[in-house]
Amino acid sequence: MSKVHTLYRQYRLDRRFILLSLTPILLLFLVFSVVPIVWGIMLGFYQYSALYQESPFIWLDNYKNLFQDEVFTQSFWNTVKFVGFAFPVNIVLTLLIALGINKVRSAIWRNTLRTMFFLPTIAPLSGSAIIWSTMYKNDGGLFNLTLERLGLDAVPWLSDPSMAMWSVVLMTLWADIGFNIVIFMAGLDSIPVQFYEAARLDGASRFVVFWKMTLPLLQRTTLFVTVMTLISYFQMFPQFQVMTNGEPQNSTNVLALNIYTNAFQYNSMGYASAMATVLLLIIMIITLVQIRLGRSKWEY
Amino acid sequence: MRKKDIPYAILFLVLLAGGCFMLVPFVWMILSSFKSNLEIISSTSIWPQAPSAEGYVTVVRDAPFMRWLMNSLVTSTAITLGTLFTSALAGYIFAKFHFRGKQTIFVVLLGTMMIPFQVVMIPTYLIISKLGLLNSLLALVVPGLVSAFGVFLARQAVESIPYEMIESARMDGSGEFRTFWQIVLPQITSMLSALGIFTFMAAWNNYLWPLIVLNDNEKMTVPLALVFFNSKNTVNYNVSMSAGVLIMIPVFIVFLLFQRHFIKGLTMTGMK
Repeated sequence: MSKVHTLYRQYRLDRRFILLSLTPILLLFLVFSVVPIVWGIMLGFYQYSALYQESPFIWLDNYKNLFQDEVFTQSFWNTVKFVGFAFPVNIVLTLLIALGINKVRSAIWRNTLRTMFFLPTIAPLSGSAIIWSTMYKNDGGLFNLTLERLGLDAVPWLSDPSMAMWSVVLMTLWADIGFNIVIFMAGLDSIPVQFYEAARLDGASRFVVFWKMTLPLLQRTTLFVTVMTLISYFQMFPQFQVMTNGEPQNSTNVLALNIYTNAFQYNSMGYASAMATVLLLIIMIITLVQIRLGRSKWEY
Repeated sequence: MRKKDIPYAILFLVLLAGGCFMLVPFVWMILSSFKSNLEIISSTSIWPQAPSAEGYVTVVRDAPFMRWLMNSLVTSTAITLGTLFTSALAGYIFAKFHFRGKQTIFVVLLGTMMIPFQVVMIPTYLIISKLGLLNSLLALVVPGLVSAFGVFLARQAVESIPYEMIESARMDGSGEFRTFWQIVLPQITSMLSALGIFTFMAAWNNYLWPLIVLNDNEKMTVPLALVFFNSKNTVNYNVSMSAGVLIMIPVFIVFLLFQRHFIKGLTMTGMK
């Protein structure tokens, strides 16, 4: 009888603890995460602006307008161009650098190299963007000064519409390859040495070892890295706003910047929300496909 | 030199060259910060010809620079402490207690991580404005007090604590909150320090959200300040480079001192 009583008392205490501690936390989540998601998607169906009293429900009009809006179409393709190039280059480059650094024999140099590649990720992106925009200056910028020294022609890094996107891509890669290098290095470290020894005894070539063993064993790390990098690249904002603000001729206007401009410069929050919902759909589809494809079959 | 050493030497030199390239923008920032206004306008040299502190003087004299550093420090610290506390507590409850709807709530929490900030930023702005928090530092802190990622990490860390440990604390008649504080927290400190570093860095470097909710110069945080100097001194970028040096170099020193924790934290959050 008394045991049941103690258990019941414990149960009541548990309830009270859960209620008291979880309620405020879940309330914060509700107000600043769940409600904004639902509200954000709903706003896409309204003609909402902070400036007007009226915000009529306009069903799919925002979406219809999107597809006739040349700036939107352009920002959509700019995003595809940015992610489609920067993302694969990031993954291949960081994996190669991680493999390379892991081959370095001295531990001190391994750490030093890792630190050198990681340092830019500590700096705020907006600050890095400013440094790079001064390096990209047509007159007196570091790159053109160097080209001049070498007797080459100056390059209009940020002022030429066919060039500007690539300049932002280069800056972005510089700013954030450090993260993935560190994560890949840890992933490579966690592969047991015995596996490599066994492969060597079997006489497997380096390429075969990498392709047939290292890469499959690295699948979990790769899945994490690719999912996180893609999600973050689709939302990249500071460097686009600071370095070019979408110029020249909208050639660097990406979805994230276009959404910000519409919502907070033009005050068309409903229209911007419709754009954001399109971005959400793209990210969701790509993430789900990635998780499907990348589900690991390996445990070690 | 053995034959095998030549490819190794090439690999090493390529990596070293790459590593040095990563540092170039910072060296450029430091060099440019010491150029005078005149030299910036007519500069044809990478190296400052007549080193001058004009940039630094402008930063400290013309702007509430210390105020901005404090704004960033206070808000980032508050966000970090809040996130650590709520994540650990919620992680503990999700890992060791049973209640109706637990699975559903947890899945919804995880789902919010996939949502791009662009979707939530407009409604969150409207909510913050309804709460009357626009243009106040609280607008940065309040939405940042909880993190789905943090709850997820904490739940995983707490799950590996054996039940017996928690049970025996209860047997001793320790209250639930004391069990959490004295038994659970000490077991998950390495996960908490990782999450703490991650949260602090994200808050310190956050640009888009402060840009949306803060208007007054007095209220700005560090990432906004850097852009502020740049837009005020588009020609004399020695000023924004000086601000960059003053803001980034201390952070680099802290990073180099605690580097091991940084890297461990990053890989821990990445591997789980």
